[in-house]
Amino acid sequence: MRWWQIRKRDADLERELRSDLELEEEEQRDNGLPPDEARRAASRAFGNVTLIREKTRETWGWAPFERLWQDLRYGMRQLRRSPGFAVIALCTLSLSIGAATSVFSVVNAVLLKPFAFRDADRLLVVRETEDKAGSGREIVPDNYRHFLYLKENAKTLEDAAIFRHSAGSISPNGDHPRVVGTVITSPNLFRLLGVRPMLGRNFVDADARKGAAHIVVLSYEGWREFFSGDSNVIGKTLRINGEPNTVIGVLPPGMHFPQVALSPKIHFQELGQNVMLYEPFVPAERDLKNDTGNFNYSVIARLNPGVTVPQAHAELGALLSSYTVSSHLPVRFGIAIAPLAQDVASGVRGGLWLLFAAVGAVLLIACVNLANLQFARAVSAEHETAVRAALGASRSRQIMARLTESLILAVIGGMAGIALAFLGVRMLLALVPANIPRLEEVRISVPVLLFAVALSMLVAIAFGILPALRSLRVPPHAALQTNSSRTANVRDGQRMRNIMVAAQLTCTVVLLIVTALSLRSFSHLMHQNRGFDASHVTVAGVDLFAPQYGDFSSKNPQPVKQAFADRALAALRQLPGVESSALTSATPLKGETWVDYLHRPDRPLPDGQEPLVNVRFIDPDYLPTMRIPVVAGRNISAGDRGDPYVALISERTAREAFPGEDPIGRKIGSLAPDSDHLFTVVGVVADTRINGLKDTAAMAYAPYWVFTHWTLSFLVRSSQPSDVLIPEMRRVLWQVDPQVAIPVLKSMDEQVSESAATDRFQAIVLSGFGISALLLALLGVYGVLAYSVSLRQQEFGIRIALGSGKGSMVGLVLRQAAYPVLFGTAAGLAISFVVLRWVRSLLYQTPVMDPLAISGSVLLLLAVSATAAMIPAYRAASVDPMRALRSE
Amino acid sequence: MNSKQVNLLQGTLDLLILKSLGAAELHGLGISRRIEQMTQGTFLVKPGSLFPALHRMEEAGWLSSFWGESENRRRAKYYRLTKAGKGQLVVETQEWKKISLAMNSALEAT
Repeated sequence: MRWWQIRKRDADLERELRSDLELEEEEQRDNGLPPDEARRAASRAFGNVTLIREKTRETWGWAPFERLWQDLRYGMRQLRRSPGFAVIALCTLSLSIGAATSVFSVVNAVLLKPFAFRDADRLLVVRETEDKAGSGREIVPDNYRHFLYLKENAKTLEDAAIFRHSAGSISPNGDHPRVVGTVITSPNLFRLLGVRPMLGRNFVDADARKGAAHIVVLSYEGWREFFSGDSNVIGKTLRINGEPNTVIGVLPPGMHFPQVALSPKIHFQELGQNVMLYEPFVPAERDLKNDTGNFNYSVIARLNPGVTVPQAHAELGALLSSYTVSSHLPVRFGIAIAPLAQDVASGVRGGLWLLFAAVGAVLLIACVNLANLQFARAVSAEHETAVRAALGASRSRQIMARLTESLILAVIGGMAGIALAFLGVRMLLALVPANIPRLEEVRISVPVLLFAVALSMLVAIAFGILPALRSLRVPPHAALQTNSSRTANVRDGQRMRNIMVAAQLTCTVVLLIVTALSLRSFSHLMHQNRGFDASHVTVAGVDLFAPQYGDFSSKNPQPVKQAFADRALAALRQLPGVESSALTSATPLKGETWVDYLHRPDRPLPDGQEPLVNVRFIDPDYLPTMRIPVVAGRNISAGDRGDPYVALISERTAREAFPGEDPIGRKIGSLAPDSDHLFTVVGVVADTRINGLKDTAAMAYAPYWVFTHWTLSFLVRSSQPSDVLIPEMRRVLWQVDPQVAIPVLKSMDEQVSESAATDRFQAIVLSGFGISALLLALLGVYGVLAYSVSLRQQEFGIRIALGSGKGSMVGLVLRQAAYPVLFGTAAGLAISFVVLRWVRSLLYQTPVMDPLAISGSVLLLLAVSATAAMIPAYRAASVDPMRALRSE
Repeated sequence: MNSKQVNLLQGTLDLLILKSLGAAELHGLGISRRIEQMTQGTFLVKPGSLFPALHRMEEAGWLSSFWGESENRRRAKYYRLTKAGKGQLVVETQEWKKISLAMNSALEAT
């Protein structure tokens, strides 16, 4: 029989029994009995109708389900009888399951889910390494010639594609242009990934030949954005940087190409932008000739089936070193490879797992709290349990009855948790820094739902099993007798509850210390000396992506770019309240870019052995505007415009390139592209954290009169607030040329704070979890004490009657609280010492044994525990002895 | 009452029910009356054993049931043998004959 027929079947049985009873009755009447008599006789003959029904139902084979149904109804009834407990339990459960599910949805998308590419586990990111005299081995991006050699000779690779992330300006409807992320790639990239265009065709090798027509493949998002999803888009023209390109294909919607960093240190500037278009990579002259420079590319490779990563690593490494030898290269090159998914998430893996661990700890604490509450309920229901046992309830039946209640809570809490997770994911995505990869894939997907369901079940068992097992230990006869044995059970239960509180505090201490360290680290990051002054400065990043400004490969119209810079600087200076306006070639705090070797003609080192510097092209007002002091020599000045080959270096560059020497007046190799003109060092400027707050940068500055870059960053120091200045700056810049793109326009403070987004995210989310843990611990300590005080009313009454003072009563309860609190804290400290080693890499210049963080966390927890204990302690002291003694 | 006896009785009850339905479709009370009549009043099957047995046998596929009208125009639930039930009746009858033969010769042995 099917279970959905059970109701019908039940009604059927009911009718059958009734009709049979009536037949019997009729028969009795036919035998000549009066109606009343007949009914009684029939009932007598028939027997116990309920029993017959139950026995019959047993034969249907659905008894276990019926028992479950009974347990469910019983559980629901129990919960309705204690609504306070039910509400607290459901709130705790839904919040903690919701939080855990939200964090898991991020962890799943960023770290666990494979890419939607064919056999994504066989995809690798390949980079090179370079042995340096002083600093050891360094990971660098790929060189085109090395790539060709490896691709040609590697037997472990099925295929390899070379590409680089770039940016292009698009002005769809003749508006001011905007800058979008692009990828310039060898034609085989999509075939390697196993992605077919949804419309049009794939790249072919001929597209990458010199002089081939300009073509572009759109991402699905780009197609929607620039052509509003026009299905006749193939063959149409899209202007990129003002140049016409023919659209040859559109990629399918699931294709999200990840941002692959050039090297662990060098990220592409616009990291975090979606890739909107793909252009074929046409190797330039310098790509085809240079073996020791031009490390400008990333490589994705596909392993042959059955080949392991170490095998590929060994083969590629051997190939590249033999190439180094046969080509007589002055540097030793090696290989660094990582699976694609791992590489893309490398910067955020530790942080995300930490958050996941933190939310897990909160969940655990919540579980212990609920277990404690359930435990108390089990103890107070002992009498009932004993009655059931005495009436013959089997052990499994007893356990199930208790577990079912937890199960009901977990199911309702889990569903509410999943609903909350939809909100939680939104909140996380609003907080999450944009540089975390694959965020567009974060959603409550099927695996996330399965996780939530499994988690709820696990939680139900975790907090239900102990109290359930406990109900077994009640001997049927003992609980039926009153008082004496009950006190013994109370004491026994108390020990269990103390252990649980201690466990809770252990978790809380660890979580609090990790949170405190993260806050300390973040505060240090934000408050350390940066070497520049961001306040009252507004920054506008301008991209000169238009035909009149040319590009690297074709003509290089310096005068046009310089004229734009001059006019823009002059116009910005005219804005009201402006103290100074300045120019640099890279937006501050956007990471290392334009990294070059610093060449000293008086002491030449082999290629690859020279120190690396970040080259910036600035105007004379840059240093004063950013309040960066000149340490030795002088700043560049307007007087240098006639003979602009002067340079400034930072203190760190001076230490690395001129150890123990005075750099002023020395010549250094060309800083400008495509030029051999030497520069004279005229000044040394203070070190700054201008590329990223975590490290001072080795810098070399040259005037923009030598070379004006296509990306310009205008800095304005003004008494006006940034939000007043921003629209003004935009207006002025577009007045100079409406065809330039302005991808960045914000206050420098904002720029600083955005650069610390990952650390802030970690600190904020951890703080949230830390506070939750603290509150739960407070509830836990309070709950256990309050419960035990309520059970010991009589004892306290006697003590007071015998002359105990208020103070000693409070002391009595506090002492009781002290054991689990102190024990739990100590255990937490011990565990912290193990856990913290693992957190070290996530902190910025903060020792994990930071005394302030550790002592602060412990003191906070002790203070909170003491507060939680005070209320029950005070209640114990104010027991009215007469009432307490009379109450039993 | 130990379990062996229960099984034996249950087997007997099943056989009696199958036999009673061999000739006609009957409702619950009808089956008890028929058994009473067939065994000359030796076996009185009470509803407490009859209904669980009927439902178990229906579950096993030996009986099927339908709602019909009794001789004095009351709705009642009727049972009839299925094909499997008829087979079962043959099997159990042979079984019982074997047992009763064995029991008889055992009791007659000296």
